[in-house]
This record gives sequence, C-alpha cells and structure tokens, in this order.
Amino acid sequence: MSHEASHDVAPHHDAPHYDAPHYVAARVQRALAADERTYELGIRVDIRGDQLFLRGEVECEERRHLVAAVAGETAPGLKVHNEVTVVEVRGPGEEETL
Amino acid sequence: MKIRVAAVGDVHLGEDLRGRYRGRLDGIGERADVLLLAGDLTRHGTPEEGRVVADEFRDLPIPVVTVLGNHDYQSDAADEIVEVLRDAGIQVLQDESTVIECGDLRLGVVGGKGFGGGFAGKCASEFGEPQMKAFVRHTREISELWHKALKGLDTDHRVVLSHYSPVKDTLAGEPLEIYPFLGSYLLAEAVDAEGADLFIHGHAHSGVEKGLTPGGVRVRNVALPVLRRAYAVYSLGAEDPEV
Ligand SMILES: [Fe+2]
Ligand SMILES: [Fe+2]
Repeated sequence: MSHEASHDVAPHHDAPHYDAPHYVAARVQRALAADERTYELGIRVDIRGDQLFLRGEVECEERRHLVAAVAGETAPGLKVHNEVTVVEVRGPGEEETL
Repeated sequence: MKIRVAAVGDVHLGEDLRGRYRGRLDGIGERADVLLLAGDLTRHGTPEEGRVVADEFRDLPIPVVTVLGNHDYQSDAADEIVEVLRDAGIQVLQDESTVIECGDLRLGVVGGKGFGGGFAGKCASEFGEPQMKAFVRHTREISELWHKALKGLDTDHRVVLSHYSPVKDTLAGEPLEIYPFLGSYLLAEAVDAEGADLFIHGHAHSGVEKGLTPGGVRVRNVALPVLRRAYAVYSLGAEDPEV
C-alpha cells in the first residue's frame, strides 16, 4: 500500500490502530505484571472479538478476583472471562531418593 | 545414613495469605532435616510481606535456609527483608555457603538468587550496549561466586539453592521466548565444575519439577505452582535408591 493512499484507511479516533487485539492483550498482560494489586507475571491473556480470556494460576481467591478487576480496567468494553484457577496445595507427599 | 532436604519456592506470601502456610508445615521435623526456600517469598517485596514470611517460617524444628527471588526485590527493600528473616532465625544466602549439621552428616548449601541470560547457543553475551553487558555480567559474577563457594565446601553432601534455573529441562511448559529471563547455563556450568548432589530452583511457575545439568547434577524446580504440594522432600545418600 502506498503512503499516499493511507488516508483512505487511516484509523478513526474511536478505533485507533493501537487498539488492535494484539496490543490490547499485551497491555493487559503488562498491567497484570506491573499493577501493585496483582504483580502476576504468569497470566495468559487472549482476546477474541469483544471477549477477553484470562488463564493461569494464582494463590488465592482474592488474587483471582483482582486479576479480573485489573484486566477489566485496562481493557474497558471487553467482556472478561476469568478462567484463572487457584492453586490447590496438597500435603508434602512422598520423599524422593536421589 | 541420609539427609532429607525439604524444599519449596515461590510461596509469594502477602498479608492476604498470613497464617495459611504455617499449617502445611506441621510434622516437617519428622519428614526432613532441613527446609530450603527457593526465593519469591513475597509478591511485592515489601518489608511488611517479609514479616509475614518470617512469621510463617520461624521457629520450625529444623533449620530454614532461603534465597531471595526477583519479586523480593520489587520494592527496593531486599536488605530489610533479609534482616527481618535473619531476625526470625532464617538463614539467607546471598552468593555464599553455609554448613548444616544433620546428625553425623554435614550438608553444605551454596546459594543466591541467580539470574537470567539464557542457555548455551541461545543466550545473551557481554557485547554491545552497557545495559546488555551489565545484564550478562551480573549472571557471570554470580556463577563465579558460586563456583568459589562450592570449591571451599568440604561436606558429605552439597546442594545448590537458587531462584533462577540452571537448565532448560525444568522450564518445559514456559514460553520459549522468555527462557533467557528464567535462567542461565552459566549457573549449571559453575556447579558442574565442582559437583553437587542437587540443584534446587524456583521462578518457573509453569515449568516441570525434574531436570539434569549437562554434568549430571539433579535439578529440581520446586516452585509451588509446579509442586502443588506444601514442599518436596529429597533424600540424599540413602543406601540404594532402587530398593
Ligand atoms: Fe515466582
Ligand atoms: Fe521469580
């Protein structure tokens, strides 16, 4: 595409090009890592249409809700599906002989 | 005669989890001779969270040795956290060693947080911008300190305690793109040069538990989301592991 023709496809103000799902997902992931309410580095973020999917594991129910809250604030207008699970910790189990 | 090493990492405690871990440690004195914590004790690295960690792991019937993880540095309060932990009787290793008496046997532990850089053939090198050089130099200097610490350790068994991984084996399940931020082969190289019975690490929440260094040292990723149990116990020096 020539540079001259670019005005035909120039993004509108209500749909700026940086709001491509790819960048929104990256922004949400960054927010989850950097927001002091979450600091979660291992959450996977996927966007399909107006649906936002969160996957991964956290240590407790409260942190699970905070992850969804921060994601929702970072990507307003998307429906958040919180598929994050709480890690279930069992007893110590058997020892391994090395 | 054997030494039983309990280990867990990435407990990521905070005020919201206060009191939650302590109960899982009931009976640890019957199961193990020492407890090793592989860093990421906190979530934000604040002194307040450090105090939660100290309260969960203080006054156990066995010695507790820990290293810090990247999360424990997040609030620039690592020194204060170290102090809080030491006041609670928890040993904190920062690129140094300690010797623990377990009955008639002596266990040497060399530890520190470690750092990243990637793995042989696919790693960063000390070249180019100062930021890049500093990144790789940090890992190299750590591995040199560990090498030296291991060399000076004359004990029945030797364990290395780290936050970052020395090998790719235990990262399986993590995205390939972030491997350089999960560990460095320089850590394995240092340990292989001197030999050890076991290399414990955390940090890779989506990885797997078991791996091996190129030199044949057993590697165990004890990050809590990987273990899914309160702690793992590894027995060193048992007569015949197959019986
Ligand atoms: Fe962690
Ligand atoms: Fe970590």
